[in-house]
Amino acid sequence: MDFSNLTSQLNAGTILPEGIVIVTLLGVLIVDLILGRSSSRWIGYVAIAGLVAAVGALYLQWDATNPISFTGSFIGDDLSIVFRGIIALSAAVTILMSIRYIEQSGTALAEFIAILLTATVGGMFLSGASELVMIFISLETLSISSYLLTGYTKRDPRSNEAALKYLLIGASSTAIFLYGVSLLYGLSGGQTELGAISNGIAAANGGQSLGLVIALIFVIAGIGFKISAAPFHQWTPDVYEGAPTPVIAFLSVGSKAAGFALAIRLLTTVFPLVAEEWRFIFTALAVLSMVLGNIVALAQTSMKRMLAYSSIAQAGFVMIGMIAGTEAGYASMVFYLMVYLFMNLCGFTCVILFSLRTGTDQIAEYSGLYQKDPLLTLGLSISLLSLGGIPPLAGFFGKIYLFWAGWQAGLYWLVLLGLVTSVVSIYYYIRVVKMMVVKEPQEMSEVVKNYPAVQWNLPGFRPLQVGLIVTLIATSIAGILSNPLFTLANNSISNTAMLQATAVEKNQVSIISTPELEEL
Amino acid sequence: MLSFLIWIPIISAVIIGFLPHKLLSPSRIRLVSLTIAAIVLGWNLLILVKFDPSNSGMQFQEYLPWNETLGLSYQLGVDGLSILMLVLNSLLTWIAIYSSNKETERPRLFYPLILFVSGGVAGAFLAENLLLFFLFYELELIPFYLLISIWGGEKRTYAGIKFLIYTAVSGALILASFLGMVFLSGGTSFAWDSLSIQNIAPALQLLLLGGIILGFGIKIPLVPFHTWLPDAYVEASAPIAILLGGVLAKLGTYGLLRFGMGMFPQAWNVVAPTLALWGAISAIYGAVIAIAQKDIKRMVAYSSIGHMGYILLASASSTALALVGAVAQMFSHGLILAILFHLVGVVEVKVGTRELEKLNGLMSPIRGLPFISALLVLSGMASAGIPGLTGFIAEFIVFQGSFSVFPIPTLLCIVSSGLTAVYFVILLNRTCFGKLDNNLAYYPKVLWSEKVPALVLAALIIFLGVQPTWLVRWSETTTTAMVAAITPIEKTIVAQIPHN
Repeated sequence: MDFSNLTSQLNAGTILPEGIVIVTLLGVLIVDLILGRSSSRWIGYVAIAGLVAAVGALYLQWDATNPISFTGSFIGDDLSIVFRGIIALSAAVTILMSIRYIEQSGTALAEFIAILLTATVGGMFLSGASELVMIFISLETLSISSYLLTGYTKRDPRSNEAALKYLLIGASSTAIFLYGVSLLYGLSGGQTELGAISNGIAAANGGQSLGLVIALIFVIAGIGFKISAAPFHQWTPDVYEGAPTPVIAFLSVGSKAAGFALAIRLLTTVFPLVAEEWRFIFTALAVLSMVLGNIVALAQTSMKRMLAYSSIAQAGFVMIGMIAGTEAGYASMVFYLMVYLFMNLCGFTCVILFSLRTGTDQIAEYSGLYQKDPLLTLGLSISLLSLGGIPPLAGFFGKIYLFWAGWQAGLYWLVLLGLVTSVVSIYYYIRVVKMMVVKEPQEMSEVVKNYPAVQWNLPGFRPLQVGLIVTLIATSIAGILSNPLFTLANNSISNTAMLQATAVEKNQVSIISTPELEEL
Repeated sequence: MLSFLIWIPIISAVIIGFLPHKLLSPSRIRLVSLTIAAIVLGWNLLILVKFDPSNSGMQFQEYLPWNETLGLSYQLGVDGLSILMLVLNSLLTWIAIYSSNKETERPRLFYPLILFVSGGVAGAFLAENLLLFFLFYELELIPFYLLISIWGGEKRTYAGIKFLIYTAVSGALILASFLGMVFLSGGTSFAWDSLSIQNIAPALQLLLLGGIILGFGIKIPLVPFHTWLPDAYVEASAPIAILLGGVLAKLGTYGLLRFGMGMFPQAWNVVAPTLALWGAISAIYGAVIAIAQKDIKRMVAYSSIGHMGYILLASASSTALALVGAVAQMFSHGLILAILFHLVGVVEVKVGTRELEKLNGLMSPIRGLPFISALLVLSGMASAGIPGLTGFIAEFIVFQGSFSVFPIPTLLCIVSSGLTAVYFVILLNRTCFGKLDNNLAYYPKVLWSEKVPALVLAALIIFLGVQPTWLVRWSETTTTAMVAAITPIEKTIVAQIPHN
């Protein structure tokens, strides 16, 4: 094999965005070693610059002519670019949030950023990985960094407990995932590359065999854990409550997006033979997540726990697009994850701001906040109403597109369930708005009565303010001016070769089944 | 031209809400909002003047592509069905702002929310795209929730949440039906002129129409789904009750006419008998329950349920005359409910109670509230359908138009109209007549500014009562065209039923 052939097969330019993040990561670590704590005033901005540069590099790679790199173990197609962008942006906003939060907890900022960037790299690689070992390694990079981040405030017993719980459940679910993956390797006659696996299994006449079904279930157990779909959700409420809030913000957007990227790539390329089966399993997961997430969230008293159940429920909504399996279905997932980035990070920024100023995140303590901190009230109200799908906010358009895609694919009952559980979700989101806005001055909680005067010039508050305002504006207008995002989401799907095959297949199926519908 | 009706209130609401405190003192906010409402009302009247009543189609159309993936376009238009509703909306917004207390708490939220709602309602009446309609329909949800639960009465939190959940369920049902209408008819766009519902199998049409009837039935409200209404109307402050009953309820009946009858002519004929009976039951139920109430605001709230029943009867019978009556009834019910809620609000502020047991002798010329009582008598009569006032005109057209199709439900509605007179006589007898309690009757003076809204509404009620052409001329051609679209199909469906 001559050298030029090797470079063209490696095609290492595809992972330039990840390369930028890795260089930033090492830079942050080394600066921390040399300068110590004194660097913490600007090190966060270096990391953000690195992430923004990575997003810029992703933009340049849009519609790359030859996305396959590293002899097929990594694919930089448009789908992966969208997901890598979501993960990098969520890390950037997370850093904006964490500058003050981590400083206040008395731990080192640079170390935190280094671990966060490692998780980001893991997630970004996971979005494009198309080989079993590569998938597993990037999944582990993401997971292990997440365990470390969860237990980062190590003097807080709740953070320790959360980290232990996350580690034990995470490690077991990865083990189950690994077992499923090794079964795939065996079933396909020793293939590790995703496309080759499905061919291998088809050639070995293993379609619909028991082994394939077991492998599918084991793989879904690992994916379900990452996207916190019920019944693999049990870690979510406890980890969300215990872990540092910026970490939760990253886990709820970045880590979840990585999980969905993995789900799309793995399930559509490896399991086309059992497509009906995994759609069925995901339908069950979606129903459980929407029902459980939304109903249990009604009974929460802690803001972070409420957002934990809400994120379980939101995963259920996103799965509707996945089950639809059409081009519109995948595009609606991508679009929803993009607006979910804005609204969830906006919500978490407000939760962080409130807990920085008052030291608590109980829902009852928010009562009467509009008088003391109108910007925070506005930001949290808009983000929660957007999560509830109220027009004309971004979340409304996201949900409409999901339901529209679901309905188009004939998932009537699932869409109806989504609509009903959305109504339920409005109730618990509005409960927080009620606490903040509706309560009279005399009903103000003790914490709000002693609320410190709002000052933005304290160290680390400016980035929080910037993050809040940017995500707030995005949440408010990303729905009305949604055309660019829609185009982006649709193009990312239509330009992805891997999804074309399955989507066409599904379309034919739906054409065949329409006459039956009309007979109804 | 139409866009201004939506965007003037919404944009000024955003500006007022975000202006720094120093620039706008609380008392000025009310004045500014009042001016904006007046500008919108003036603009609306201009549109009314330019509106061509002999054209049955959409006028002043506007089109902007918005989101092609979703089939959502910004497409506006006005026809005979919606023009009066638009005028009602901007008129009642102005009245609501005018009749609001000058010392309203948190004016920087209150007035922007009212303006925002006004723009949203106008958008819903104007939208020519199902999804755009739904967007504006859901836009009312949160502002009204806040308006009820911040500035309401004692049980406002409960009433607010109840309103929110009922309305959200109604929105979910409507959205599900809209999605169904677009996909089952094989369309890709939500613009309603591009939809061909006829492609859908009759059974599915019935299912979709059922979703629409239930969805809008919650908002109207029809009897088993009405339980949010007494709480929301009673707990809301007077200006909000005016908007809730006068405008928001019309969104329900408008939706039923436009999307139920207008889009499902075949299925509509199948459900019409049920609907007519349902409307009659609703009317009787509202009247009977109102008789039993001890609180005048609750009485007025239940009277609203009764009057909405007539509209359902009229739309079910879908003759040209009945539809004109339905539109007239929607408009006059808006006027009458607004004046009643305003007067009840004034009585509550001055006397300090709304209970029939405690109110007495307000007609007394010196120490009572003679002027307010006189207007209360007038509006009670208008609501009960006394000739010479707009309520009679509307009800009479409804009954005459419906009798030929559904005689029994029409008779039931006439009975309920009689019962309306009964509870209004009870109300007027207990509040206006009798003797004042000498120990308690030191009521504050009624200010001129409190009389103006009632005077404006009373003048309109009397004028339209003696000159009803001005009430019905706007909608005649549109409703005739709608009926013409239904009737030929009526015959074919009758022929089809035996085959099924």
